Amino acid sequence: MSIPLSPSAGQPSMKDYSCTTQCTWCDGCGDYGIWTALKRSLVELKLMPWQVLLCYDVGCHGNMSDKLQGYRFHGLHGRVIPFAAGAKLANPRVPVIAVGGDGASFSEGVGHLVHAVRSNYPMTFILHNNANYGLTLGQASALTWQGQKMNTSPNGIPEHTLPSMDFIFSLEPTFVARAFSGNIPQLTKVLKAAIEHQPHGFAFVDVLQACPTYNKFVTHEYLLEHCKEVPADHDVTDFTKARALATDTGKSIATGILYQNKSIPSFYDRLVPRQGKSTTTVDEVKITDVSSLMERFR
Amino acid sequence: MSRISLKVVGAQGQGINSVGEMCAKGLKRAGYCVFGYREYMSLIKGGHSSYQLDVSDTPMLSSQTSVDIVITFNHHGLEKNIREMNERGIVIHQTSDWEFSEEDALFVAKKKITVLHLPTEDILGKIKAKPILGNVLITSVVWALLGQQKDVLEDLVREQFGHKKDLLALNIQCIEEGFVFAARHKGALKAALPKADPAWSKHLLVTGSQAMGLGAVHAGVRFYSGYPMTPSSPLLTFMADLQNETGLVIKQAEDEITAAQIVSGAMFMGTRALTATSGGGFDLMSETLSLNGILENPTVFVLAQRPGPATGLPTWTSQGDLLLAVHTAHGEFARCVLTVSDAQDAFDLMPVAFNIAEKYQISVIVLTDKQVAEALYTQTPYDLGKAKLDRGLLITDPKQLKKLQPSDRYDPAAKDGISPRWLPGAEAATYAAQGDEHDASGTVEESSANTAVQFQKRLKKQEALKKSLPEPELYGAKNPDVLLVGWGSTKGPVLDALAMLGDAKVGYLHYTYLWPLQTDHFKKLHAKAKKTILIEGNYQGQLGMLLAQESGIVLTDKILKYDGRPFFVDELIDIFQSKI
Repeated sequence: MSIPLSPSAGQPSMKDYSCTTQCTWCDGCGDYGIWTALKRSLVELKLMPWQVLLCYDVGCHGNMSDKLQGYRFHGLHGRVIPFAAGAKLANPRVPVIAVGGDGASFSEGVGHLVHAVRSNYPMTFILHNNANYGLTLGQASALTWQGQKMNTSPNGIPEHTLPSMDFIFSLEPTFVARAFSGNIPQLTKVLKAAIEHQPHGFAFVDVLQACPTYNKFVTHEYLLEHCKEVPADHDVTDFTKARALATDTGKSIATGILYQNKSIPSFYDRLVPRQGKSTTTVDEVKITDVSSLMERFR
Repeated sequence: MSRISLKVVGAQGQGINSVGEMCAKGLKRAGYCVFGYREYMSLIKGGHSSYQLDVSDTPMLSSQTSVDIVITFNHHGLEKNIREMNERGIVIHQTSDWEFSEEDALFVAKKKITVLHLPTEDILGKIKAKPILGNVLITSVVWALLGQQKDVLEDLVREQFGHKKDLLALNIQCIEEGFVFAARHKGALKAALPKADPAWSKHLLVTGSQAMGLGAVHAGVRFYSGYPMTPSSPLLTFMADLQNETGLVIKQAEDEITAAQIVSGAMFMGTRALTATSGGGFDLMSETLSLNGILENPTVFVLAQRPGPATGLPTWTSQGDLLLAVHTAHGEFARCVLTVSDAQDAFDLMPVAFNIAEKYQISVIVLTDKQVAEALYTQTPYDLGKAKLDRGLLITDPKQLKKLQPSDRYDPAAKDGISPRWLPGAEAATYAAQGDEHDASGTVEESSANTAVQFQKRLKKQEALKKSLPEPELYGAKNPDVLLVGWGSTKGPVLDALAMLGDAKVGYLHYTYLWPLQTDHFKKLHAKAKKTILIEGNYQGQLGMLLAQESGIVLTDKILKYDGRPFFVDELIDIFQSKI
C-alpha cells in the first residue's frame, strides 16, 4: 500500500501529522514504531488531524503527545481511559484513541480498564506494553516477569506476573488484538481495525515493545523471534479459540486481530435517552427550558 | 410569623418519608409555606429517623428544635421525642397499651400534651388493606387534625394511584377512616395552623438537590457522571431520573476519580457536564482538579458537605469543607468556590458556575451540604428568563477557526490570561492539552522563562475573576450595629431568627462567592459595626480564617456548630438574645 507522504487536496498525509518537536525516546525504543504506525493508520483511514482526539496517559509513551499533530490530551498517570471515555461519549462523532503503558494500565488505572471493557465504551485503547515502568527508571510493573531483577527489586520481583490477556478476556471484550512495535505494517493494519471498531465498542490493542534500557528479558530480538501472525484461518468471532490463542504464549506469540464481536452494542448505543438522536451532547448545550420539569413539584 | 412544626418519627423503611412528603405537598397546596427537614442514620432499615415539617403562613427556611405534633411509627418515638414537645402538643402513636415512665408522664401532664393511640393495624385489618397503606391512614389523621379539607388529600392519592383502581379505592377508604378516627377524638385534637395564603399553592416543593438538578439542566448540562455518596447521591438519582425526559447522558462511574475524569473529558470535548460528591470522594477528585488547572479545562464540581474526617457522619450536615474546596489539589492554579444556601440559589448558581468555568477556563467548586441537599423548600417557581449562556472565548465559527494557530491555545500574552479555546473535531490547527508544563501550543517546555510565563498566565485569571465576582450580600439592617457573617445553609435559620427577633440593628452578611474572596464590603461594615460575629457550621471558623487571611481582620466573636446538625431557628434566637 502506498502511504501519502505529502499533502494532496482533501486527503491527509504523513506530513499533516508530523511535528517539529524532537523525539526523546531511547535508541531502539518500541515507541518509535507505535508512533509511526499510529500516524500511518490515521492517514490510511483518511482522518485529518483535526478530526481525531488522541489521549495519553503518563509514561514514556505519553511523551508522544507533542510529537505529532491532532487534538491531543496528556493527563494523569493511570487515568487516561475515563477522560477519553467522557470525551467520546460527549461527542461520539470524533474518533477517540487512548494510549497508556502497562505500568499505569495494570496498576494505578486497572479499575478503569476493567470498567472500560465492561462498559464497552466506543473507543480504542492502545497498550504500550514494555513490561516495566520505563520513565521512572525501570521498576517492575504488574506485567514484568516474576523473578526479574528490577529497580526497587534487586532480589527479583516476588509477585507473580499478571496474566493480562486472560484477564482481558475474562471481562468479555468486544475487540482484542496484539501486535509488535517492530512490525509496522501489521500494527498499522491492527490499529486501523481497532479504530474502525469504535462504533461497536471498546477496542483493546496490546502492543508488545522493547524497552532497550530496562527490559532485559523481552527484548526486540525475543519479540522478533516469537511474534507470529495469527493463522490465516483463525476465526476472530470464536471467543474460546481466540482466548486460547491469546494466552498460549509458550512457543510463539500470536499477533494480529485475535477477537472481534460486532453484535454487542457499545455503551453509548445502550443509552435509552440517546436513541435516535442525531445531535451530540456538545451540540445540545444551551439555556434549557425546564418549565415542564418544574411541574412535577407543584 | 406564626409557625407550627410536626414531626414524623420511626425506623427507616417504615414510611416516615412518604408520610412527611404527602403532608408537605398537601399543606403547600392548601396554602402554607413548608420547610422539611430529615434526620436519619446510615442504614437502609431500622435506626431512629424523623421527617420534620415546619409550617407557616410567611416565608421560612428553617426548622425548630421543639415540635407541636409528633406522629410516631413505633414506641421509640414515645421515648425519644416526647421531651421535644411544646406545650399543648399532640402525640399520635400506634403502640397498644403504652405507658410512659414516671418522669415522662409528669412531663406530659405538665405540658398538657394530648397522647392519642391510633390502632392502625385494626383499622387496616377491618378494610383489608396492606400495612403499607398505614401511611395514608396516618396522613389522613394528621390532615383532619390540622383542620384540612379531605379532597386535597384525595387528589394527592389520585395523582399517585389513579392508574391502579383497586389500590386507589383502598387509599380513599383509608382517608375516610382517618377522618372518622379524628372526628371521634374531636375534643382532643386541635392544632392551630395559621390562616392559609393561597399564593403558596402555586409554589414548588423541592429539595436543594432537585433545585440544583433543575438548575444544571437549565444551565445546559447534558452529561452527568457520579459515584454514590451521601449527601451528593440525591443529585445523581435526580439527574438519572430526568434522563428520559431530557436526553441526558448519565454514567454511574466506578469511583470518584473516574467521575471527575469523565466529566473533565466531556467538558474538554465541549459539552456541559457535571459531577457531585462528598468529602472523601472529593479528596479522590483533587488530582483531577489540579490537572484541569494546567489544562485550563473548564469544569464544575459539586461538593456536598457532611461531617468528616473519614466516613464521619454520613447522613448529617456540616460546613467543614470550605478550606478543602479552596486549597485542595497540588500546585498553584486559579479556581472559583461558591456556595448555595437554599433552593433558590441552588438553581440560580448552576448557570453562573458553568459560565464562570467556561469564561475563565477554570474549575468551579459549588459547595452544598446535607442540609440544603435534602431539606424540602417551598420555592417560588424559577424565573427562566434570567440566565444567559456565556461560553467565554470558545471559538466555533469556521472562519475564526481557520485563523487559529496552535500557539493561540495557551498564549501567555492573552488578556487576563484567558486564551481562545476550541474543540476536538473543529476544523482548525490542533494543540495539545498538556498536563506537563508547556508552551503556548501545549508542547512540553521546561525552561525557566516559559515556566514563569505560563504560571503568570494561569494565575492572572484569578485576579480577573476576583474583580468580576459580586461582594457578599447584606440582609437586615443597612448600617448594622451588630454584623453577623456567614455562608451556605446558615442563611435560612439566621434570616428566620432575625425576622422573629425583629431587631432593627442587626445585619447578616452572606457570602455566596467564597474564593477568590471579596473583603471590601466586609471591611467597611466591620469598621462601622459595634460587634461582628462569625457564624458557621464548623469547628475552626473556616470563613473567619479566610477573612483573616484576605482582610487582616481576625474575628474573635464566633457562633460555631459542629455536631452534624444544622442551626435551628429557636436555638439561634436564644444565642442571639444572649450575644446581641
